Amino acid sequence: MAEPLIAVRELTKHFRAFRRREGLWGGIQDLFVRRYHTVRAVDCISFEVARGDMVGYIGPNGAGKSTTIKMLTGILVPTSGEVVSNRYVPWRQRTAYVKTIGVVFGQRTQLWWDIAAIESFKLLRRIYGVSQRDFDERMELFNQVLGIRDYLHTPVRKLSLGERMRCDLAAALLHNPPLLFLDEPTIGLDVVAKDHIRKFLRAINERYQTTVLLTTHDLDDIEELCRRIMIIDHGRLLYDGPLGLLKQKLLRTKMVKFALRDSEQAARVRALAPELARQSLELEPVDELTYRIRFDRTSVSTSALIQQILSAVEVRDLLIEDEPIEEIVKRIYAGEALGEVTA
Amino acid sequence: MSLRNVGIVYRKELTDSLRDRRTLISMILVPLLLFPVLMVGLSYIAGEVIGEARRQPSRVMVLGGEDSPGVLAALRQAPGLNVLPGRPDYVDQISEKRIRAAVEIPPGFEAALEQGNQTAVKIYMYEGDLKSQTGVERLQKFFRDLSDRTLRKHFAARHLPEGLLKPINIAQKNVASPEKVWGTLFGGMISYMVILLSMTGAMYPAMDLAAGEKERGTIETILCSPVSRVHLVLGKFLMVMTASLATVALSAISLGGSFYGLGKLAVMQADKGPSLQMAISLKSIAAVLMLVLPLAVFFSSALLAISLFAKSYREAQSYLTPLTFVVIIPAVVAMLPGTELNTKLALVPILNTALVSKEIMTGTYHWKYIAMIFASSCVYGAAALFIAVKLFQREEVLFRA
Repeated sequence: MAEPLIAVRELTKHFRAFRRREGLWGGIQDLFVRRYHTVRAVDCISFEVARGDMVGYIGPNGAGKSTTIKMLTGILVPTSGEVVSNRYVPWRQRTAYVKTIGVVFGQRTQLWWDIAAIESFKLLRRIYGVSQRDFDERMELFNQVLGIRDYLHTPVRKLSLGERMRCDLAAALLHNPPLLFLDEPTIGLDVVAKDHIRKFLRAINERYQTTVLLTTHDLDDIEELCRRIMIIDHGRLLYDGPLGLLKQKLLRTKMVKFALRDSEQAARVRALAPELARQSLELEPVDELTYRIRFDRTSVSTSALIQQILSAVEVRDLLIEDEPIEEIVKRIYAGEALGEVTA
Repeated sequence: MSLRNVGIVYRKELTDSLRDRRTLISMILVPLLLFPVLMVGLSYIAGEVIGEARRQPSRVMVLGGEDSPGVLAALRQAPGLNVLPGRPDYVDQISEKRIRAAVEIPPGFEAALEQGNQTAVKIYMYEGDLKSQTGVERLQKFFRDLSDRTLRKHFAARHLPEGLLKPINIAQKNVASPEKVWGTLFGGMISYMVILLSMTGAMYPAMDLAAGEKERGTIETILCSPVSRVHLVLGKFLMVMTASLATVALSAISLGGSFYGLGKLAVMQADKGPSLQMAISLKSIAAVLMLVLPLAVFFSSALLAISLFAKSYREAQSYLTPLTFVVIIPAVVAMLPGTELNTKLALVPILNTALVSKEIMTGTYHWKYIAMIFASSCVYGAAALFIAVKLFQREEVLFRA
């Protein structure tokens, strides 16, 4: 593998947090003697990201995603560990480094709140020293893909969340950084806006080979954008690898949904239930003529189950579904699947 | 390059503030309107109230005096008095403000005057009530005149020269220049206002630019920009100081306007007698503003540092509001008559500037103190700025959990 764009080694960030005592008496005690404990927000994580990669970084709330991003963008100084990103150590060469990155924090904007977005773009052009020609050219591209021209002259506070996010993305990419950090870029957006943002990210990744590291709660972001996924919880990296592999290894439950040809078949299906129960399978009615069976693909063969159904009843339609990725991630968070992934 | 970045940050914050209605109100509208409304308005209202009390005749009650018909007749014709016959419930009448005062004339009053014996009248009043006070003054004037007339009559009857009535006439002449008189009267108040305003003017932007930025979560986004933290905090500091100085300058303009307006008003209310015209030299104004400059640096950086420490706008507010008293107390102490500048006080921040501004307003320049105060204020200002810059580089402060 060529030299990675981001190399993180044993990155650790500890915070000292104040532990409050309970109740009124506890509150009074806290005034005089404070008890502190160490929060391991990020605990010894290591990874590398290659140029042009799009990596999804997921984890439950408080897992350490934002802290990692803040260290990678030079805002926070780690307690220990090393980061070399774009050949810089972010917190040591911060001002030079941030000229080579773009950052978008989903819930906050870097645009001036009360002023038209174009003013912010002009300010950023001066801060980053972008030439007028490059500026015009990029604004043209952003407009083509993001369609921002119509509201460039509207005060930012009057923009919808989706419009603002598009402007924020454009602002982060105005200096054409090779590396883009996105902290929850699609949070709170509607389906159309999400789609717009995802298309744009794919476009700049293809056109400029921009490397993207994005944190998200929306797994559709990951499925549509990222080939690689990193899962963090309690400050530790639980999984780092291709999304496909995660599915392949952890996909345990499958579901067969079938629609009966007529109501006559319904009685025959109910007769099938005791036999299914013997195999620890449960028949769930969806509506009068539709039923669903969930099964563990490691203990039940999909084809055997289908044969069993088809031999018992006449079926009009049949559908086999994988467990949604959310369910897999939930199990990883719960600690169940950890052994299976790392094995 | 570095100064360019400070300039960019400063310009950004300035543009931002000028678009923010709250800043505009606290920085421009309040100082411009506060003094005219407060001073001209209040003195106009006071003038109106006093004028009305003077125009209306005072209802007074006469108790006794049945054997002094001459005095009673004269009293009824006295200007500004509406004399009512005595009633035993005069105390209640005064308390309920149905009458303004009552005068008790002892038996044999007129006879005593006639014979040259000393006698007395007693006036009942409602202390602190303006209209009662006016009634009393009118009664007093009547009896003083009566006393005078009686005296003259007795002197004339005994062929004594009138000069004996008042053997010595005391005259006084003011040697202080109008500037000194005006400065002594208002200098303390003006330096108090200037100092307080240089703080309050900085307060709102300091909260918005540090704690507000934290609360909005935009601190992360600005820390991601290729502007060093020192330049960020310096740009913010310059903006806060601009607000502070703008507030002071605008207040000075509006204060000047108010005094001018007051002078006009006093001329209009001719019965007030000769009015005190505003007398203040441009030199004094320039000197005071010069001294306020390092103080504005001090306030701006100190407020910015405290606001930077706060997690939210509300927290910053609860730190900064009590701080107003910390500023008011030395400013009030300086206003108290008798507090004079000495070497020790010249080193106490805020108090020193207040004291020396008061002196400058009266046209007195103690150059030694002025230099000491300017230098010490510069040191305090620089120290506060240094702390603000250092705090802005500390992660525990910027991201205080």
